[in-house]
Parts: sequence; C-alpha cells; structure tokens
Amino acid sequence: MKADMHVNQVSRPVTAARPPFAAMFLRSFFIQAGWNYERNQNIGFAFALLPALRRVYGSTERFYSALLRNLEFFNTQPYMAGFILGNVAKMEEKLSAGPETAETIKIVSGVKQALASSFASIGDRIFWGRLKPMTTQLCLIVWTLGGFYGWLFTSRAEYPPVWLIMLGPVSGAAVYSLFSIYWRWKGLRAGFECGGTSNCGLDAMEWPRFIRRLSVLCFSFSVIITLAAFGLFIGLDCYGRPLPEIGFRLLLPLSVLAVHRAVHKLGYSIFWVIGLILLASLSLFFALGAGALNL
Amino acid sequence: MILAAKAVISSLLAGLLELDSVQAGQFLLSRPALVGPLLGALNGCVLEGARLGILIELIYIDFVPIGGVVSPNGAVAAAVSVLAHSWAGLDPSLAFFWGLFSGRMYCFVEYRLRSVRSRRNGVIDAEVKSQKERLHYWIADSLFSGSAVVSAYVFSFSAASVLAGSVLNTKAIVPAMNFAYSLMPWLGLSGLYFRFRTQIYKK
Repeated sequence: MKADMHVNQVSRPVTAARPPFAAMFLRSFFIQAGWNYERNQNIGFAFALLPALRRVYGSTERFYSALLRNLEFFNTQPYMAGFILGNVAKMEEKLSAGPETAETIKIVSGVKQALASSFASIGDRIFWGRLKPMTTQLCLIVWTLGGFYGWLFTSRAEYPPVWLIMLGPVSGAAVYSLFSIYWRWKGLRAGFECGGTSNCGLDAMEWPRFIRRLSVLCFSFSVIITLAAFGLFIGLDCYGRPLPEIGFRLLLPLSVLAVHRAVHKLGYSIFWVIGLILLASLSLFFALGAGALNL
Repeated sequence: MILAAKAVISSLLAGLLELDSVQAGQFLLSRPALVGPLLGALNGCVLEGARLGILIELIYIDFVPIGGVVSPNGAVAAAVSVLAHSWAGLDPSLAFFWGLFSGRMYCFVEYRLRSVRSRRNGVIDAEVKSQKERLHYWIADSLFSGSAVVSAYVFSFSAASVLAGSVLNTKAIVPAMNFAYSLMPWLGLSGLYFRFRTQIYKK
C-alpha cells in the first residue's frame, strides 16, 4: 500500500496518449526469447516494454536509464506477463512525469517483482498444470470419438483419415491458444488500468475458484479417457478370449498403473518406470523367448 | 538420397517448431502430438507419426516447465522418433524409445544454451549504457541459434539411428521392445489420471 501511495505521490499529469498496446502485445509473444539463467526473461521483457518506454521517454538519456532498469532479473508465467508489462508501462509513465529518485525506482522494481512471482504462481497452475494436459485429453477424446484408437493400441492396423489425425492435436492447441491470447491481451490492458499498485490484476478473476473448476474438468476428462481405454481394451483386445487370459491381459495395464504410482510416491521420475518396463521386457524375452511376449 | 533430403527438411522444420516451446509464441505448435503427425506426413508415415507423438506427449506430461526447470523436449523427441522410423527404418517401438532418450538428453543442450545466453547480459548492459539499443538483434540471435541447434541435434540423433540400424542387429530385440512399447499408453494414462486426481484431493 505504501508503494502505491509513493508512486502516486511522484506522479503528475501525464500524456493522455495510450501506450502502444498492439506493439507490446505482439512483442509479448517473445517474452521468453533469450531466456538465460542469470536474469531469466529480462531480454524478452525489456523487448516487449520497449514501445512503451519509447513513447514515454523518446530517445532521451532517461529512456536508456529506464531500459537498463528493466533489464534486471525478471521471471513470470509467459501468458500472464501482460499484467506486469501493462503495470510497468503505467509506472514508467508516472515516473517520467517526476524526478527519478533511487526510492521511486526501487518501488517500481519491487512492485514488478512481487507481481511477477504472484502471476507466475497463478499462471503455472492454470496453464502448465491444467490447460496444457487438457489439450492432450482433448486430442485423445477427438481421436476416440472419430474412431482412431492408435493412441492405445500400438500395433493395431488402422487407417484413419489424415484430417482426423491432425484435428486431434490442432483442436487442443486452438482452444489453448485462444485462451492464452485472450489473457495476454486482457492482462496488458488490465495491468495498465491499475498500474502502480502492488495487487494490480490479481483480482481480475477469482483465480482459486477458476483453478479448482479446471481441476474438476480435467479430472472428469481423465476418468472418461481411462474408462474409455479400459472399455476399448476389453472390447477390441480381449473379446472372445478365455476368461483367465482376459484377466491376465487386464493385469498388465493395472500393473503399469501400480508401478507408476509406487515409483512416483518414492519420488522418482517416469523414466525409472520406463527403465523397469524395458528391463522386465528384455529379461522375459531372453529368458522365455519371443513367444512369451506375443500377447 | 531423397530420404536424407527429407530428413534435413524435417530437422529444419523441427528446429522452427521447437521455437514455439519456449522462445516464441507458445501456441503449443511444438507439442509432440502435433510435431509427430506433421513430420510423419512429410516423411510418408502420418499414422506412426501421430502414434509416436501422442505417446511421447503422454509420457512427457509428467514434467512441468516451472521456475526455469528444463524439461525433456517433446518436439525433439517426436522429430527424432519419426525420423528414426522413416529414415533409419527402425521399428516404431525402437524409434519411440530412441526418441524419448534424445528428448531427455536435449535437456543438457538446453541447459548449456541458457548458460551461454547469460553472458550476453553484460554485453547488452554495456550497449544500453553507451546509449545503443539492439534488443531486436539479440532476440533474433537467440531465436536463430536456438533453432539451428535443435535442427542440428535432431539431424545428428536421426543420423545416429541410421548408423545404428545398419551396424547393429536391432531386429533381435524388436519383440521385447514391442512388448514394452505396448505398455506405454497405459503408463501415459496413469500420469494423466493421477496428476488430476492429486489436484482434486489436495487440501
């Protein structure tokens, strides 16, 4: 709150010209270009902010000073970066109207870093944790509804149309991209509207409820896909076989699920499970011959 | 010769698509489920490409790229596995595991690239201090070098699979690989199911 007050204190009437939102928006697609360990997204952030800084400072010495300031460490969720970009653009606009002191600069930097952490946490949970896996689920659902089961049966001869094969991944990517583009743009505008405050944009939506709803939706998709997989497996691969053989066949995927869960609980990655499966397959093959694996 | 030319074009395309994963856009054009069938269509195996792609995506779903963590690269894995199948003639099961391995190994390359880029900060700072702004150049440089490294990496791994296929008797272990490969969808589904189940029951 103190930060908000201070930035407002140094502000004076500023130019009525809007910042170049379109240029900043387009440049925000490169926010992670030049990602480096020392300062993470600093180059991409400064690149996206550049049109706003030019608008405010022109090519004066203060422009280079502002640019240098914004080349400091920066890291957030790329799709949520708009909130911080808009906010910093507003704060720079206010700064430009007053004297540039070490304290005002420190406040701008503090607000920027605080928001970057908050939006990273929110964005990671929405985009990486839920929406991205959801696009995989959409792909599987589209393929299954279209009658392409290649994702489940690795050696089954199938001849799905190419449009169906492409529709699966494209549908998920389209939904995801529309959503992410919307938040990039909305974030930029909202960030500018409430710029200078350290909670700017955090109330743009009721994030916890939204995240919770996404989790429920994704889990529902997971249940549907898992049930469909077992249904397809029983219907297409086990149908007409003796009961003991069906039981044995069902045991295989269930074992994979159990091993994965156990390894995950022990804190190891999925590559350990793959290693175990490979080891077991090769051992069975060399001990019992190819016939043993001809399931 | 035609296969090699297709491999070069595919590697270049993979390098371009991979930019989408971190450096540019992030529209999910670099997801394995899309890279697989795209390169598969280019190399005459769209169905296998889709199958390899979606399975790699299901396996890699376990990794979340938060906080600058370098996850295994799905686009690289899908491109290498499709080329290992179409160019080297490896069975899909072998191509799949080779692709997974290449995607995991790419983490070290990506780590190196990100470390090297850190050195540019000093140069950029010095430029700005001397009132020179060339951020567009540094952005373009990062994009170009990133894409070129991915293309070279994909081509090298694919060429290695061609070499391995001609020197080693890979057919001997195909039944074992096929068996392990047939279990991969279940492993992927397990990841998909438990990821969200954990989220739902998290207090």
